[in-house]
Amino acid sequence: MIRRIGLSGVWLAVAFNLFTLAWIVSTSLRPHREIFAIPWGLPFRPMWENFAEAWSSGNFGGAALNTILLVGPSSIVIVALSAPAAYMLSRTKGRAPSALTVLFAMGIGIPTQVVIIPLFVLMQSLSLVNSLAGLFVLYVAVSLPFTVFLLTGFFGSLPDEIEEAAALDGASVLRTFWQIMLPLARSGLITALVLNAIGLWNETFLALVFLQSTDKQTLPLALLGFLSKQQYAGADYGGLFAGVVILVLPMLAVYVWLGRRIIEGLTLGAGK
Amino acid sequence: MWVFVAPALLLYAVFLLGPTAASVWVSLHAWDGIGEMRFKGAGNYTLLLRDEVFLKAFGNTLVLLVGGGVVVFTLSFALTMALRDMPGKRTVRSVLFFPNIVAPVVLSVLWGFLFQTDGLVNSGLAGVGVDDPPNWLGDHLFGLIFAGLVWMNTGFYVTILMAGVDRIPRYFYEDCALNGATAFQRLRHLTLPLTWDVVATSAVIWTVSSLKIFEFIYAFGGTANDLPPPDVWNSALFIFGKTFGGRVPQYAFGYASASAVATLLLIVVFVLLLRRVTRRERVQF
Repeated sequence: MIRRIGLSGVWLAVAFNLFTLAWIVSTSLRPHREIFAIPWGLPFRPMWENFAEAWSSGNFGGAALNTILLVGPSSIVIVALSAPAAYMLSRTKGRAPSALTVLFAMGIGIPTQVVIIPLFVLMQSLSLVNSLAGLFVLYVAVSLPFTVFLLTGFFGSLPDEIEEAAALDGASVLRTFWQIMLPLARSGLITALVLNAIGLWNETFLALVFLQSTDKQTLPLALLGFLSKQQYAGADYGGLFAGVVILVLPMLAVYVWLGRRIIEGLTLGAGK
Repeated sequence: MWVFVAPALLLYAVFLLGPTAASVWVSLHAWDGIGEMRFKGAGNYTLLLRDEVFLKAFGNTLVLLVGGGVVVFTLSFALTMALRDMPGKRTVRSVLFFPNIVAPVVLSVLWGFLFQTDGLVNSGLAGVGVDDPPNWLGDHLFGLIFAGLVWMNTGFYVTILMAGVDRIPRYFYEDCALNGATAFQRLRHLTLPLTWDVVATSAVIWTVSSLKIFEFIYAFGGTANDLPPPDVWNSALFIFGKTFGGRVPQYAFGYASASAVATLLLIVVFVLLLRRVTRRERVQF
Protein backbone atom coordinates (compact mmCIF):
# COMPACT_ATOMS: atom_id res chain seq x y z
CA MET A 1 0.00 0.00 0.00
CA ILE A 2 2.67 2.50 1.06
CA ARG A 3 4.70 1.29 -1.85
CA ARG A 4 1.85 2.00 -4.24
CA ILE A 5 1.53 5.55 -2.93
CA GLY A 6 5.29 6.01 -3.18
CA LEU A 7 5.40 4.77 -6.75
CA SER A 8 2.49 6.93 -7.83
CA GLY A 9 4.31 9.87 -6.22
CA VAL A 10 7.38 9.07 -8.29
CA TRP A 11 5.41 8.90 -11.52
CA LEU A 12 3.52 12.05 -10.70
CA ALA A 13 6.76 13.97 -10.17
CA VAL A 14 8.31 12.54 -13.34
CA ALA A 15 5.20 13.34 -15.36
CA PHE A 16 5.12 16.87 -14.01
CA ASN A 17 8.75 17.59 -14.92
CA LEU A 18 8.43 16.13 -18.40
CA PHE A 19 5.15 17.93 -18.98
CA THR A 20 6.65 21.24 -17.90
CA LEU A 21 9.54 20.86 -20.30
CA ALA A 22 7.27 19.90 -23.18
CA TRP A 23 4.94 22.75 -22.37
CA ILE A 24 7.75 25.34 -22.42
CA VAL A 25 8.89 24.18 -25.85
CA SER A 26 5.38 23.96 -27.23
CA THR A 27 4.38 27.38 -25.89
CA SER A 28 7.48 29.00 -27.35
CA LEU A 29 6.12 28.10 -30.79
CA ARG A 30 2.59 29.46 -30.34
CA PRO A 31 1.20 32.95 -30.98
CA HIS A 32 0.49 35.09 -27.95
CA ARG A 33 -3.26 35.34 -28.40
CA GLU A 34 -3.72 31.58 -28.55
CA ILE A 35 -1.59 30.98 -25.45
CA PHE A 36 -3.64 33.51 -23.62
CA ALA A 37 -6.93 31.94 -24.69
CA ILE A 38 -6.01 28.25 -24.38
CA PRO A 39 -2.90 27.74 -22.24
CA TRP A 40 -3.03 23.96 -22.78
CA GLY A 41 -3.02 24.12 -26.57
CA LEU A 42 -0.44 22.75 -29.00
CA PRO A 43 1.44 24.59 -31.76
CA PHE A 44 -0.33 23.48 -34.92
CA ARG A 45 1.60 25.92 -37.07
CA PRO A 46 4.96 26.52 -35.34
CA MET A 47 5.69 30.23 -34.92
CA TRP A 48 9.44 30.45 -35.45
CA GLU A 49 9.01 34.24 -35.45
CA ASN A 50 8.84 34.06 -31.65
CA PHE A 51 12.50 33.13 -31.61
CA ALA A 52 13.45 35.91 -34.02
CA GLU A 53 11.53 38.31 -31.81
CA ALA A 54 13.26 37.19 -28.61
CA TRP A 55 16.66 37.01 -30.29
CA SER A 56 16.69 40.55 -31.68
CA SER A 57 14.21 42.84 -29.96
CA GLY A 58 14.29 40.85 -26.70
CA ASN A 59 18.09 41.18 -26.66
CA PHE A 60 18.58 37.46 -26.17
CA GLY A 61 21.07 37.37 -29.04
CA GLY A 62 23.52 39.81 -27.50
CA ALA A 63 22.90 38.32 -24.08
CA ALA A 64 23.70 34.84 -25.34
CA LEU A 65 27.02 36.08 -26.69
CA ASN A 66 27.85 37.85 -23.41
CA THR A 67 26.94 34.76 -21.42
CA ILE A 68 29.12 32.48 -23.56
CA LEU A 69 32.05 34.91 -23.39
CA LEU A 70 31.68 35.09 -19.63
CA VAL A 71 30.89 31.49 -18.72
CA GLY A 72 33.43 29.74 -20.97
CA PRO A 73 36.60 31.51 -19.80
CA SER A 74 35.54 31.72 -16.16
CA SER A 75 34.81 27.99 -15.89
CA ILE A 76 38.20 27.22 -17.41
CA VAL A 77 40.06 29.64 -15.15
CA ILE A 78 38.21 28.35 -12.07
CA VAL A 79 39.35 24.80 -12.76
CA ALA A 80 42.87 25.93 -13.72
CA LEU A 81 43.27 27.70 -10.36
CA SER A 82 41.47 25.10 -8.25
CA ALA A 83 43.18 21.98 -9.57
CA PRO A 84 46.72 22.78 -8.33
CA ALA A 85 45.40 24.00 -4.99
CA ALA A 86 43.24 20.91 -4.55
CA TYR A 87 46.11 18.66 -5.56
CA MET A 88 48.40 20.15 -2.93
CA LEU A 89 45.77 20.14 -0.22
CA SER A 90 44.91 16.51 -0.80
CA ARG A 91 48.50 15.31 -1.10
CA THR A 92 50.39 17.15 1.64
CA LYS A 93 50.05 15.96 5.19
CA GLY A 94 50.28 18.36 8.09
CA ARG A 95 48.43 21.03 9.97
CA ALA A 96 48.58 23.86 7.43
CA PRO A 97 47.05 21.91 4.51
CA SER A 98 44.20 20.54 6.59
CA ALA A 99 43.48 23.98 8.06
CA LEU A 100 43.41 25.39 4.54
CA THR A 101 41.06 22.65 3.37
CA VAL A 102 38.65 23.59 6.14
CA LEU A 103 39.07 27.27 5.29
CA PHE A 104 38.10 26.64 1.65
CA ALA A 105 35.15 24.48 2.72
CA MET A 106 33.91 27.32 4.92
CA GLY A 107 33.75 29.51 1.84
CA ILE A 108 30.96 27.31 0.44
CA GLY A 109 28.82 28.49 3.34
CA ILE A 110 29.21 32.21 2.62
CA PRO A 111 26.17 33.34 0.60
CA THR A 112 26.96 35.99 -2.02
CA GLN A 113 24.38 38.40 -0.63
CA VAL A 114 26.31 38.50 2.64
CA VAL A 115 29.41 39.95 0.94
CA ILE A 116 27.68 41.92 -1.80
CA ILE A 117 28.07 45.35 -0.18
CA PRO A 118 31.84 45.24 0.40
CA LEU A 119 32.23 43.59 -3.00
CA PHE A 120 30.38 46.44 -4.66
CA VAL A 121 32.54 49.05 -2.92
CA LEU A 122 35.67 47.11 -3.83
CA MET A 123 34.70 46.71 -7.48
CA GLN A 124 33.74 50.36 -7.68
CA SER A 125 37.16 51.42 -6.46
CA LEU A 126 38.69 49.17 -9.16
CA SER A 127 36.29 50.68 -11.78
CA LEU A 128 34.99 47.18 -12.49
CA VAL A 129 31.29 47.84 -11.99
CA ASN A 130 29.15 47.41 -15.11
CA SER A 131 31.94 45.49 -16.82
CA LEU A 132 31.98 41.91 -18.03
CA ALA A 133 35.64 41.66 -17.02
CA GLY A 134 34.70 42.61 -13.47
CA LEU A 135 31.95 40.01 -13.36
CA PHE A 136 34.41 37.46 -14.72
CA VAL A 137 36.75 38.08 -11.76
CA LEU A 138 33.87 37.73 -9.31
CA TYR A 139 32.58 34.55 -10.94
CA VAL A 140 36.01 32.99 -10.65
CA ALA A 141 36.52 34.08 -7.04
CA VAL A 142 33.14 32.98 -5.66
CA SER A 143 33.32 29.60 -7.40
CA LEU A 144 36.73 28.66 -6.03
CA PRO A 145 35.71 27.26 -2.60
CA PHE A 146 33.28 24.69 -3.99
CA THR A 147 35.59 23.68 -6.83
CA VAL A 148 38.62 23.31 -4.57
CA PHE A 149 36.49 21.24 -2.18
CA LEU A 150 35.19 19.01 -4.97
CA LEU A 151 38.60 18.46 -6.52
CA THR A 152 40.33 17.89 -3.18
CA GLY A 153 37.96 14.97 -2.68
CA PHE A 154 38.67 13.79 -6.19
CA PHE A 155 42.48 13.94 -5.95
CA GLY A 156 42.23 12.26 -2.54
CA SER A 157 40.50 9.28 -4.14
CA LEU A 158 43.39 8.63 -6.55
CA PRO A 159 45.91 5.96 -5.47
CA ASP A 160 49.13 7.12 -3.74
CA GLU A 161 51.37 4.54 -5.41
CA ILE A 162 51.61 6.23 -8.80
CA GLU A 163 52.82 9.41 -7.22
CA GLU A 164 55.36 7.60 -5.08
CA ALA A 165 56.69 5.83 -8.17
CA ALA A 166 57.07 9.18 -9.92
CA ALA A 167 58.95 10.57 -6.91
CA LEU A 168 61.26 7.55 -6.88
CA ASP A 169 61.99 8.12 -10.55
CA GLY A 170 63.06 11.64 -9.67
CA ALA A 171 60.17 13.58 -11.17
CA SER A 172 59.71 17.05 -9.72
CA VAL A 173 56.47 17.99 -7.96
CA LEU A 174 55.45 20.20 -10.84
CA ARG A 175 56.12 17.49 -13.37
CA THR A 176 54.29 14.84 -11.34
CA PHE A 177 51.30 17.13 -11.15
CA TRP A 178 51.31 18.18 -14.78
CA GLN A 179 52.20 14.93 -16.53
CA ILE A 180 50.85 12.28 -14.20
CA MET A 181 48.17 13.50 -11.81
CA LEU A 182 46.30 15.90 -14.09
CA PRO A 183 45.66 13.33 -16.82
CA LEU A 184 44.52 10.86 -14.16
CA ALA A 185 42.13 13.42 -12.72
CA ARG A 186 40.69 14.28 -16.11
CA SER A 187 37.16 13.08 -15.43
CA GLY A 188 37.06 15.03 -12.16
CA LEU A 189 38.25 18.17 -13.92
CA ILE A 190 35.61 17.85 -16.61
CA THR A 191 32.92 17.37 -13.96
CA ALA A 192 34.09 20.51 -12.16
CA LEU A 193 34.14 22.41 -15.44
CA VAL A 194 30.60 21.39 -16.37
CA LEU A 195 29.17 22.03 -12.90
CA ASN A 196 30.65 25.53 -12.87
CA ALA A 197 29.49 26.25 -16.41
CA ILE A 198 25.90 25.29 -15.56
CA GLY A 199 25.91 27.26 -12.33
CA LEU A 200 27.33 30.40 -13.93
CA TRP A 201 25.12 30.17 -17.02
CA ASN A 202 22.13 30.46 -14.69
CA GLU A 203 23.68 32.96 -12.24
CA THR A 204 21.50 36.01 -11.69
CA PHE A 205 22.29 37.76 -8.41
CA LEU A 206 25.80 39.05 -9.13
CA ALA A 207 24.87 39.92 -12.71
CA LEU A 208 21.87 41.88 -11.44
CA VAL A 209 23.99 43.95 -9.07
CA PHE A 210 27.06 44.44 -11.27
CA LEU A 211 25.72 44.81 -14.81
CA GLN A 212 23.66 47.89 -15.51
CA SER A 213 23.60 48.53 -19.23
CA THR A 214 21.49 46.46 -21.60
CA ASP A 215 24.34 45.66 -23.99
CA LYS A 216 26.23 43.88 -21.20
CA GLN A 217 23.29 41.75 -20.05
CA THR A 218 23.56 38.01 -19.56
CA LEU A 219 20.72 35.64 -20.45
CA PRO A 220 18.91 35.59 -17.07
CA LEU A 221 18.94 39.41 -17.10
CA ALA A 222 17.59 39.44 -20.65
CA LEU A 223 14.70 37.29 -19.45
CA LEU A 224 13.97 39.67 -16.57
CA GLY A 225 14.27 42.62 -18.95
CA PHE A 226 11.86 41.00 -21.37
CA LEU A 227 9.40 40.60 -18.51
CA SER A 228 9.59 44.29 -17.65
CA LYS A 229 9.22 45.31 -21.29
CA GLN A 230 5.96 43.42 -21.46
CA GLN A 231 4.53 45.70 -18.80
CA TYR A 232 4.46 48.67 -21.16
CA ALA A 233 4.85 47.18 -24.64
CA GLY A 234 2.12 44.59 -24.19
CA ALA A 235 2.50 40.95 -23.26
CA ASP A 236 4.05 38.50 -25.70
CA TYR A 237 4.02 35.07 -24.08
CA GLY A 238 5.27 33.35 -27.23
CA GLY A 239 8.37 35.55 -27.34
CA LEU A 240 8.84 35.17 -23.59
CA PHE A 241 8.89 31.39 -23.80
CA ALA A 242 11.13 31.50 -26.84
CA GLY A 243 13.56 33.39 -24.58
CA VAL A 244 13.12 30.75 -21.90
CA VAL A 245 13.98 28.06 -24.44
CA ILE A 246 17.10 29.98 -25.53
CA LEU A 247 18.16 30.07 -21.88
CA VAL A 248 17.30 26.46 -21.03
CA LEU A 249 18.07 24.46 -24.18
CA PRO A 250 21.91 24.68 -24.13
CA MET A 251 21.98 23.47 -20.52
CA LEU A 252 19.51 20.73 -21.34
CA ALA A 253 21.79 19.59 -24.16
CA VAL A 254 24.78 19.53 -21.80
CA TYR A 255 22.68 17.62 -19.27
CA VAL A 256 21.55 15.00 -21.75
CA TRP A 257 25.13 14.61 -22.93
CA LEU A 258 26.95 14.60 -19.58
CA GLY A 259 24.14 14.02 -17.08
CA ARG A 260 25.52 10.95 -15.40
CA ARG A 261 28.89 12.62 -14.88
CA ILE A 262 27.25 15.71 -13.39
CA ILE A 263 25.21 13.62 -10.96
CA GLU A 264 28.13 11.41 -9.97
CA GLY A 265 30.35 14.45 -9.45
CA LEU A 266 27.81 16.07 -7.18
CA THR A 267 27.23 12.99 -5.10
CA LEU A 268 30.96 12.47 -4.79
CA GLY A 269 31.28 16.00 -3.43
CA ALA A 270 28.31 15.56 -1.11
CA GLY A 271 29.12 12.09 0.11
CA LYS A 272 32.24 13.26 1.94
CA MET B 1 53.26 23.84 -1.85
CA TRP B 2 52.40 27.53 -1.62
CA VAL B 3 52.89 28.17 -5.34
CA PHE B 4 50.05 25.75 -6.04
CA VAL B 5 47.66 27.12 -3.46
CA ALA B 6 48.49 30.84 -3.54
CA PRO B 7 46.47 32.05 -6.57
CA ALA B 8 43.24 30.40 -5.43
CA LEU B 9 43.81 31.41 -1.84
CA LEU B 10 44.54 35.01 -2.78
CA LEU B 11 41.36 35.44 -4.83
CA TYR B 12 39.32 33.69 -2.16
CA ALA B 13 40.75 35.96 0.52
CA VAL B 14 40.30 39.20 -1.43
CA PHE B 15 36.81 38.57 -2.80
CA LEU B 16 35.16 36.44 -0.11
CA LEU B 17 36.96 36.31 3.23
CA GLY B 18 37.91 39.99 3.26
CA PRO B 19 34.41 41.16 2.30
CA THR B 20 32.90 38.92 4.98
CA ALA B 21 35.00 40.66 7.62
CA ALA B 22 34.23 44.02 6.00
CA SER B 23 30.49 43.28 6.26
CA VAL B 24 30.85 43.01 10.02
CA TRP B 25 32.74 46.33 10.09
CA VAL B 26 30.23 48.15 7.85
CA SER B 27 27.34 46.81 9.95
CA LEU B 28 28.55 48.94 12.84
CA HIS B 29 28.18 52.15 10.82
CA ALA B 30 25.67 54.31 9.02
CA TRP B 31 26.82 54.50 5.39
CA ASP B 32 25.40 55.10 1.93
CA GLY B 33 28.52 53.89 0.16
CA ILE B 34 29.60 57.37 -0.97
CA GLY B 35 29.79 59.73 2.00
CA GLU B 36 31.57 59.41 5.29
CA MET B 37 30.98 56.33 7.45
CA ARG B 38 29.48 57.24 10.79
CA PHE B 39 30.02 54.87 13.71
CA LYS B 40 26.77 53.59 15.24
CA GLY B 41 27.94 50.66 17.35
CA ALA B 42 25.13 48.13 17.68
CA GLY B 43 22.60 50.73 16.53
CA ASN B 44 21.80 48.97 13.23
CA TYR B 45 21.13 45.73 15.08
CA THR B 46 18.70 47.24 17.58
CA LEU B 47 16.88 48.91 14.68
CA LEU B 48 16.65 45.55 12.88
CA LEU B 49 14.96 43.97 15.86
CA ARG B 50 12.21 46.57 15.64
CA ASP B 51 11.90 46.48 11.83
CA GLU B 52 8.82 44.46 10.92
CA VAL B 53 9.93 43.97 7.33
CA PHE B 54 13.20 42.47 8.56
CA LEU B 55 11.53 40.27 11.17
CA LYS B 56 9.13 38.96 8.54
CA ALA B 57 12.00 38.32 6.11
CA PHE B 58 14.03 36.56 8.78
CA GLY B 59 10.96 34.52 9.75
CA ASN B 60 10.43 33.52 6.13
CA THR B 61 14.08 32.48 5.92
CA LEU B 62 13.58 30.25 8.95
CA VAL B 63 10.36 28.80 7.54
CA LEU B 64 12.17 27.90 4.32
CA LEU B 65 15.15 26.52 6.21
CA VAL B 66 13.29 24.40 8.79
CA GLY B 67 9.85 23.83 7.24
CA GLY B 68 11.20 23.52 3.72
CA GLY B 69 13.92 21.21 5.01
CA VAL B 70 11.44 18.88 6.70
CA VAL B 71 9.22 18.69 3.61
CA VAL B 72 12.12 18.29 1.16
CA PHE B 73 13.74 15.53 3.23
CA THR B 74 10.50 13.66 3.86
CA LEU B 75 9.65 13.70 0.17
CA SER B 76 13.18 12.82 -0.86
CA PHE B 77 13.27 9.85 1.48
CA ALA B 78 9.85 8.65 0.33
CA LEU B 79 10.84 8.93 -3.34
CA THR B 80 14.23 7.31 -2.77
CA MET B 81 12.64 4.37 -0.96
CA ALA B 82 9.99 3.95 -3.64
CA LEU B 83 12.69 4.07 -6.30
CA ARG B 84 15.07 1.69 -4.52
CA ASP B 85 14.48 -1.40 -6.60
CA MET B 86 12.53 0.01 -9.46
CA PRO B 87 13.68 -0.72 -13.00
CA GLY B 88 14.85 2.40 -14.82
CA LYS B 89 15.50 4.31 -11.62
CA ARG B 90 18.47 6.11 -13.09
CA THR B 91 16.30 7.61 -15.80
CA VAL B 92 13.73 8.64 -13.22
CA ARG B 93 16.48 10.20 -11.13
CA SER B 94 17.72 12.22 -14.11
CA VAL B 95 14.22 13.57 -14.72
CA LEU B 96 13.72 14.48 -11.06
CA PHE B 97 17.12 16.19 -10.97
CA PHE B 98 16.37 18.22 -14.08
CA PRO B 99 15.12 21.46 -12.40
CA ASN B 100 18.58 21.83 -10.87
CA ILE B 101 20.16 22.66 -14.21
CA VAL B 102 17.55 25.27 -15.11
CA ALA B 103 17.99 28.91 -14.09
CA PRO B 104 15.89 29.67 -11.00
CA VAL B 105 14.57 32.76 -12.83
CA VAL B 106 13.06 30.49 -15.46
CA LEU B 107 11.53 28.18 -12.87
CA SER B 108 10.07 31.22 -11.18
CA VAL B 109 8.53 32.58 -14.40
CA LEU B 110 7.14 29.15 -15.13
CA TRP B 111 5.73 28.70 -11.65
CA GLY B 112 4.07 32.11 -11.82
CA PHE B 113 2.62 31.18 -15.19
CA LEU B 114 1.15 27.94 -13.89
CA PHE B 115 -0.65 29.71 -11.08
CA GLN B 116 -1.65 33.07 -12.57
CA THR B 117 -5.33 33.97 -12.83
CA ASP B 118 -5.86 32.48 -16.28
CA GLY B 119 -2.94 30.11 -15.96
CA LEU B 120 -2.66 26.39 -16.47
CA VAL B 121 -3.70 25.37 -12.98
CA ASN B 122 -6.84 27.45 -12.85
CA SER B 123 -7.93 26.53 -16.35
CA GLY B 124 -7.36 22.91 -15.34
CA LEU B 125 -9.44 23.47 -12.20
CA ALA B 126 -12.18 25.07 -14.28
CA GLY B 127 -12.11 21.99 -16.49
CA VAL B 128 -12.96 19.75 -13.53
CA GLY B 129 -15.71 22.06 -12.38
CA VAL B 130 -14.11 24.40 -9.83
CA ASP B 131 -15.86 27.71 -10.42
CA ASP B 132 -14.06 29.82 -7.89
CA PRO B 133 -10.36 28.97 -8.02
CA PRO B 134 -8.06 30.63 -5.46
CA ASN B 135 -6.12 33.77 -6.33
CA TRP B 136 -2.78 31.99 -5.96
CA LEU B 137 -0.38 34.83 -6.72
CA GLY B 138 -2.34 37.38 -4.72
CA ASP B 139 -3.36 35.54 -1.58
CA HIS B 140 -1.02 32.58 -1.33
CA LEU B 141 2.24 33.84 -2.79
CA PHE B 142 4.55 32.65 -0.03
CA GLY B 143 2.93 29.22 0.07
CA LEU B 144 3.39 29.05 -3.67
CA ILE B 145 7.04 30.02 -3.40
CA PHE B 146 7.51 27.42 -0.69
CA ALA B 147 5.97 24.71 -2.87
CA GLY B 148 8.04 25.78 -5.86
CA LEU B 149 11.27 25.59 -3.88
CA VAL B 150 10.34 22.12 -2.62
CA TRP B 151 9.73 21.03 -6.21
CA MET B 152 13.07 22.44 -7.43
CA ASN B 153 15.15 20.96 -4.65
CA THR B 154 13.70 17.52 -4.02
CA GLY B 155 15.40 15.98 -7.06
CA PHE B 156 18.82 17.02 -5.78
CA TYR B 157 18.35 15.31 -2.43
CA VAL B 158 16.80 12.21 -4.00
CA THR B 159 20.01 11.96 -6.02
CA ILE B 160 22.26 12.29 -3.01
CA LEU B 161 20.24 9.98 -0.76
CA MET B 162 20.04 7.41 -3.54
CA ALA B 163 23.83 7.32 -3.72
CA GLY B 164 23.82 6.47 0.00
CA VAL B 165 21.03 3.92 -0.20
CA ASP B 166 22.67 2.16 -3.16
CA ARG B 167 25.62 1.28 -0.94
CA ILE B 168 23.42 -0.79 1.37
CA PRO B 169 23.62 -4.49 0.42
CA ARG B 170 20.38 -5.93 -0.96
CA TYR B 171 20.28 -8.86 1.46
CA PHE B 172 19.64 -6.50 4.37
CA TYR B 173 16.37 -5.54 2.75
CA GLU B 174 15.58 -9.16 1.91
CA ASP B 175 16.13 -9.96 5.58
CA CYS B 176 13.69 -7.21 6.55
CA ALA B 177 11.09 -8.63 4.21
CA LEU B 178 11.56 -12.15 5.63
CA ASN B 179 11.14 -10.89 9.17
CA GLY B 180 8.03 -8.94 8.26
CA ALA B 181 9.39 -5.50 9.10
CA THR B 182 7.06 -2.62 8.27
CA ALA B 183 8.18 0.15 5.96
CA PHE B 184 8.67 2.44 8.93
CA GLN B 185 10.76 -0.08 10.88
CA ARG B 186 12.88 -0.65 7.81
CA LEU B 187 13.50 3.06 7.50
CA ARG B 188 14.28 3.55 11.18
CA HIS B 189 16.47 0.52 11.82
CA LEU B 190 18.13 -0.06 8.47
CA THR B 191 18.09 2.78 5.96
CA LEU B 192 18.56 5.74 8.28
CA PRO B 193 21.43 4.32 10.36
CA LEU B 194 23.31 3.12 7.27
CA THR B 195 22.94 6.39 5.38
CA TRP B 196 23.44 8.62 8.38
CA ASP B 197 26.58 10.35 7.13
CA VAL B 198 24.88 11.16 3.82
CA VAL B 199 21.82 12.51 5.64
CA ALA B 200 24.00 14.66 7.89
CA THR B 201 25.88 16.15 4.92
CA SER B 202 22.63 16.77 3.06
CA ALA B 203 21.24 18.64 6.03
CA VAL B 204 24.25 20.96 6.02
CA ILE B 205 23.96 21.47 2.25
CA TRP B 206 20.28 22.32 2.63
CA THR B 207 21.03 24.85 5.38
CA VAL B 208 23.55 26.65 3.23
CA SER B 209 21.57 26.50 0.01
CA SER B 210 18.26 27.52 1.58
CA LEU B 211 19.91 30.72 2.83
CA LYS B 212 21.23 31.39 -0.67
CA ILE B 213 17.75 31.35 -2.21
CA PHE B 214 17.23 34.62 -4.04
CA GLU B 215 16.31 34.46 -7.72
CA PHE B 216 13.25 32.26 -7.39
CA ILE B 217 11.59 34.74 -5.03
CA TYR B 218 12.96 37.83 -6.75
CA ALA B 219 11.49 37.02 -10.16
CA PHE B 220 7.99 37.09 -8.65
CA GLY B 221 8.43 40.86 -8.68
CA GLY B 222 7.60 40.50 -12.34
CA THR B 223 10.18 42.87 -13.85
CA ALA B 224 13.87 43.64 -13.68
CA ASN B 225 13.35 46.59 -11.36
CA ASP B 226 10.44 45.69 -9.14
CA LEU B 227 10.79 43.67 -6.00
CA PRO B 228 8.11 41.20 -4.93
CA PRO B 229 5.90 42.30 -2.00
CA PRO B 230 7.92 42.52 1.26
CA ASP B 231 5.89 39.85 3.04
CA VAL B 232 7.45 37.16 0.85
CA TRP B 233 11.03 38.42 1.20
CA ASN B 234 13.70 36.28 2.78
CA SER B 235 16.88 37.74 4.23
CA ALA B 236 18.64 37.73 0.83
CA LEU B 237 15.80 39.82 -0.66
CA PHE B 238 15.96 42.11 2.35
CA ILE B 239 19.64 42.84 1.80
CA PHE B 240 19.05 43.47 -1.89
CA GLY B 241 15.94 45.54 -1.21
CA LYS B 242 17.78 47.81 1.23
CA THR B 243 20.73 48.39 -1.10
CA PHE B 244 20.63 47.96 -4.89
CA GLY B 245 17.09 46.71 -5.55
CA GLY B 246 13.87 48.45 -6.49
CA ARG B 247 13.15 51.47 -8.65
CA VAL B 248 14.65 53.83 -6.08
CA PRO B 249 17.61 51.97 -4.54
CA GLN B 250 18.11 52.80 -0.88
CA TYR B 251 21.85 52.17 -0.51
CA ALA B 252 21.45 51.62 3.23
CA PHE B 253 24.79 49.85 3.34
CA GLY B 254 25.29 49.80 7.11
CA TYR B 255 21.78 48.64 7.88
CA ALA B 256 21.74 45.96 5.19
CA SER B 257 25.16 44.75 6.36
CA ALA B 258 23.73 44.16 9.82
CA SER B 259 21.10 41.88 8.29
CA ALA B 260 23.85 40.19 6.27
CA VAL B 261 25.76 39.47 9.46
CA ALA B 262 22.56 38.11 11.02
CA THR B 263 22.21 35.74 8.04
CA LEU B 264 25.78 34.59 8.44
CA LEU B 265 25.27 33.96 12.16
CA LEU B 266 22.17 31.93 11.37
CA ILE B 267 24.22 29.71 9.05
CA VAL B 268 27.03 29.27 11.57
CA VAL B 269 24.64 28.43 14.42
CA PHE B 270 22.65 25.99 12.32
CA VAL B 271 25.64 24.20 10.86
CA LEU B 272 27.28 23.82 14.28
CA LEU B 273 23.99 22.63 15.76
CA LEU B 274 23.41 20.15 12.96
CA ARG B 275 26.90 18.75 13.26
CA ARG B 276 26.36 18.28 16.97
CA VAL B 277 22.96 16.67 16.66
CA THR B 278 23.94 14.37 13.80
CA ARG B 279 27.27 13.31 15.22
CA ARG B 280 27.31 9.61 15.89
CA GLU B 281 29.47 6.60 15.33
CA ARG B 282 29.50 5.61 11.70
CA VAL B 283 28.08 2.14 11.17
CA GLN B 284 30.51 -0.11 9.31
CA PHE B 285 29.03 -2.58 6.87
